[in-house]
Amino acid sequence: MREITLSQAVNEAIAEEMRRDDTVFLMGEDVAEAGTPFKVLSGLVEEFGTERVIDTPISEPGFVGLAVGAAMTGARPIVDLMFGDFIYLVMDQLCNQAAKQHYMSGGKLTVPMVLRTNMGATRRSAAQHSQSLQALVAHIPGLKVAMPSSAYEAKGLLKTAIRDNNPVVIFEDKLMYQDKAPVPEEEYLIPFGEAHVKREGSDITLIATSSMVQVAEKAAEMLAAEGINAEVIDPRTIVPLDEATLLESVKKTSRAIVIDEGHQSYGVTAEIASRLNEKAFYHLDAPVLRMGAMDVPVPFSPVLEDITVPTPEGVVENARKLCAGEMIHAA
Amino acid sequence: MPHDVTMPQLGMAQDAGKIVSWLKAPGEAVAKGDLLFEVETDKATMEVEAQASGFLTGVVAEAGEDVPVGAVIARISESAEEESAAPEPAAEDAPPADDLPEGHSVTMPQLGMAQDSGVLVNWLKAPGEAVAAGDVLFEVETDKSTMEVEAGRDGYLAATLAEAGEEVPVGEPVAILSAEAPANPVARSVARTAAAAPSSPPARPEANAAQRPETRPEPARPAPQQASGGRILASPKARRLALEQGLDLARLVEAGHPQPFHVRDLDRLRAMPATSPVAEGAAATARMLTAEIDADGFAAFADWAAEAHGLADADALLAGLAGASLSPPCTIAVERFGQARHFAVPAGRVLSAVSETEDAPDLILRDLRGTAIRSLAMGAEASPVLTLMTGGAGLSVTLECSPSQLDAQSAITFLTDFAGRVEQPLRHLL
Amino acid sequence: MAKAKTNTEDYLRMYAQMVRIRTFEDNANQLYLSAKMPGLTHMYSGEEAVAVGICEALTDSDRITSTHRGHGHCVAKGAEFGEMFCELLGKEEGYCRGKGGSMHIADQSHGNLGANAIVGGSMGIATGSALRAKLQGSDDVTVCFFGDGATAQGLWYEVMNMAALWKLPVIYACENNGYSEYTKTEEIAAGSITARAEAFGIEAFTVDGQDVLAVNELTQKLVTRARKGEGPFFMELMTYRYHGHHVGDINREYYRSKDEEKDWKENRDPIVRFRSWLVAEGIATEAEIEAMNAEIETDATEAVAYAEAAHYPDVSEVDMHVYAD
Repeated sequence: MREITLSQAVNEAIAEEMRRDDTVFLMGEDVAEAGTPFKVLSGLVEEFGTERVIDTPISEPGFVGLAVGAAMTGARPIVDLMFGDFIYLVMDQLCNQAAKQHYMSGGKLTVPMVLRTNMGATRRSAAQHSQSLQALVAHIPGLKVAMPSSAYEAKGLLKTAIRDNNPVVIFEDKLMYQDKAPVPEEEYLIPFGEAHVKREGSDITLIATSSMVQVAEKAAEMLAAEGINAEVIDPRTIVPLDEATLLESVKKTSRAIVIDEGHQSYGVTAEIASRLNEKAFYHLDAPVLRMGAMDVPVPFSPVLEDITVPTPEGVVENARKLCAGEMIHAA
Repeated sequence: MPHDVTMPQLGMAQDAGKIVSWLKAPGEAVAKGDLLFEVETDKATMEVEAQASGFLTGVVAEAGEDVPVGAVIARISESAEEESAAPEPAAEDAPPADDLPEGHSVTMPQLGMAQDSGVLVNWLKAPGEAVAAGDVLFEVETDKSTMEVEAGRDGYLAATLAEAGEEVPVGEPVAILSAEAPANPVARSVARTAAAAPSSPPARPEANAAQRPETRPEPARPAPQQASGGRILASPKARRLALEQGLDLARLVEAGHPQPFHVRDLDRLRAMPATSPVAEGAAATARMLTAEIDADGFAAFADWAAEAHGLADADALLAGLAGASLSPPCTIAVERFGQARHFAVPAGRVLSAVSETEDAPDLILRDLRGTAIRSLAMGAEASPVLTLMTGGAGLSVTLECSPSQLDAQSAITFLTDFAGRVEQPLRHLL
Repeated sequence: MAKAKTNTEDYLRMYAQMVRIRTFEDNANQLYLSAKMPGLTHMYSGEEAVAVGICEALTDSDRITSTHRGHGHCVAKGAEFGEMFCELLGKEEGYCRGKGGSMHIADQSHGNLGANAIVGGSMGIATGSALRAKLQGSDDVTVCFFGDGATAQGLWYEVMNMAALWKLPVIYACENNGYSEYTKTEEIAAGSITARAEAFGIEAFTVDGQDVLAVNELTQKLVTRARKGEGPFFMELMTYRYHGHHVGDINREYYRSKDEEKDWKENRDPIVRFRSWLVAEGIATEAEIEAMNAEIETDATEAVAYAEAAHYPDVSEVDMHVYAD
């Protein structure tokens, strides 16, 4: 199969959907000729024109608000939010407006829009351009949240998001834009709420999102050399969450580590770990561990930044302890 | 159709208002928009307009009254005479009459740590009888003991609310003490008291009845099977499987397995001989034999084996010697500083064939040579235990087991054989 | 008074719509005062000419966004009393199945994109709706209602900028009732409000919000121009709210006097003014008007009774409509 970058996969997904459905349009800062700073959208304006690939002023609440209104009146806007960190700016439009219209109207209004943004540290971008804020929006009923872990997922999930009748936030790992993965030429969709078992194993389940899937896969390889058989699962969407697949795996392995690049406290890892505790408690032979980013603003200096995010070595160390029955935290 | 005049909701968190004055008299004509009455809330006084035209009738709330928001206080009717049945003020929920005398409640005391009720054994005072603070009022039985409960204050036993033999939840009233001699002392059962429960207890429970210091139960001694602070540390899955399979995790504790227990520890538990009353009884009269060896030949042997044959694991060698003396093939656990390693000793004498295993041990070899312990008597455990200690010039080896594990002759033969092998390990190879 | 129109039906309908709003609000206020309505509500009484003057210039496919003080917009854009009272009381037959309540009430089928309880919260939605019309090539116009208090929200300046840049068919209708919640507008707004819109190159107009014909005439003109791509526009409608910020805001003399309220009610009431005009112009007699009022009163009374007796939604609906299929 051909291999393309995550950036190309996103570009293809948008182009295919814009060709298929003329209510789909794109807006955001520097999305047209510039094709975004990450060059993800290059070429789209040439095909679809500035009518459907709209450069906006640097007014995040404004253009997200416009997208909500356009979606409520029949369009399917895709909004590009240049950095995930800017989600704080658009919280009212996203969480008070987009997320609640369907419910507040008793099901009469819908907001079929996609907010594409990114996440991920270690790009030396410091505290306001490096955050992974998926937990913030995953907390809000009415929003769906997708977290692609490779070019393949990025394309399939984005196409599904564009066709979904709800506001969907997609977090792409900005460090993965140039990473290649096999992506079929022919059209495919990845349904929401279906986790992907990336690697089967029997001793411990590593549940990882987006950027952390690579980390978990690397850790699984290292663990295999020690005779520990790790299962790696990518939930692909955290809202909706494929609980069944996660529970089935954990019931099999009796142990789990949940890894996500957002801050560890009150985060995605905490939510998933809690559900495993609640619903698979009597199958657990060890506490479910969370591994998220350290609870500090992302620092600039590489020596500091690199230790704030989970690493394969860290995952291996924790997995080894859990499998040996060692207590990681005092009884 | 008459129009109800209600107490309006005026503030954000208001639930009642006081009528300051009526600005219209009963029977007087009112027009929609006329000022009808004045209301005072926590915030201010306001005038309220009529919401319909007609005649003011059926005024049921007078100036000065506090009225809940939404309550009907009058009507605006089509004629001045219309005295349509004035809305009745909601009857207050009068509590059902309770014939219990007034006084102080004596409640069921909490006696143990995790006790939630007590059985009233018997009353030592009769209803109506005078009591002094230090008098014993009744006896209570909990799972731990029986104890006497004092009155705690002078007065009269006005009511007993439980009968002998009945169980009363902790904190529930058991008796009522009154200051004056009761006219009609009451004796009730718990069932009868519960039936009267909707009405609040006649007296607020004050302090629990004082307990006599000498009868205060001793702090619960940890049960022998709860070695680590009373609670066995085990994973939820290990606990569930143990419960499903009828396995007693406490036996792993007794056998000295390190906690927390995980699923794999259940295999050891399953391999343990079933406990029976006989075995437990026998444990009390366990066998204990001690052998003294002049010189510890093992250290030198271990060095030689490592150098000459690459057998660097001294524990495996030790297990090999013990296993050979017991009855190979068998599993020997070598325990040191609370850590245990299990070794499978195959038939034959080939020490290099000894390998680590997770099987439950047939014998525990407890190495206390590095400690100051010179003698011990621990009693029988789930498997025979052989303890190595520093003794005199050389080694002391103690075997402890139950009669069901090894008969007298086997125990003597085994210990003699093992002592010989440790004294002169090379003999093992002959 | 603005110049007479030729269509008698239109005038009578405008009058009826204003009375319907006032009557709806009087009944809603009664439901609150008698503790029959859950929560609070914000009364539109006094501002009727704004909603009616504007909405009567719109078609069913034109859209509006409304505010927390939204009952008037809802009625003016074509909603029925029954579903509205049901919504106010949290009943299943309400426009939002009881999930929205007073602050989110809307009859979506007539182009009302919802009342918004965040001050200024719908400015993006209205502008996005106009963007949609432009992308679609339709001539639908969107009117964004908001109060003077919402002019303090940054969102407005962001969306006005984009609306002006892209010539979107949106009309920003600022109902200036003089008070930003419990504070005089002059204490929270620097400079001129119309000048703010003009700074983006948007044509801005000030109009007497108590004169339904003036409001209607201006709106007609602006809607026609917006349909031709000459938008966006800004209207500041000078009006007054008779009640407090909400029905529980009873003691308000600390921010405005009873004399001031009395003056607006007695001398500038939009319904009273329009009624005398109708009679003076011979469009309706006093008797006809009284009959119309009585009919509306009866409608409201029946709708309230219907809503009081209506069913609450089944509790199983609590997690319905969180996500669309």
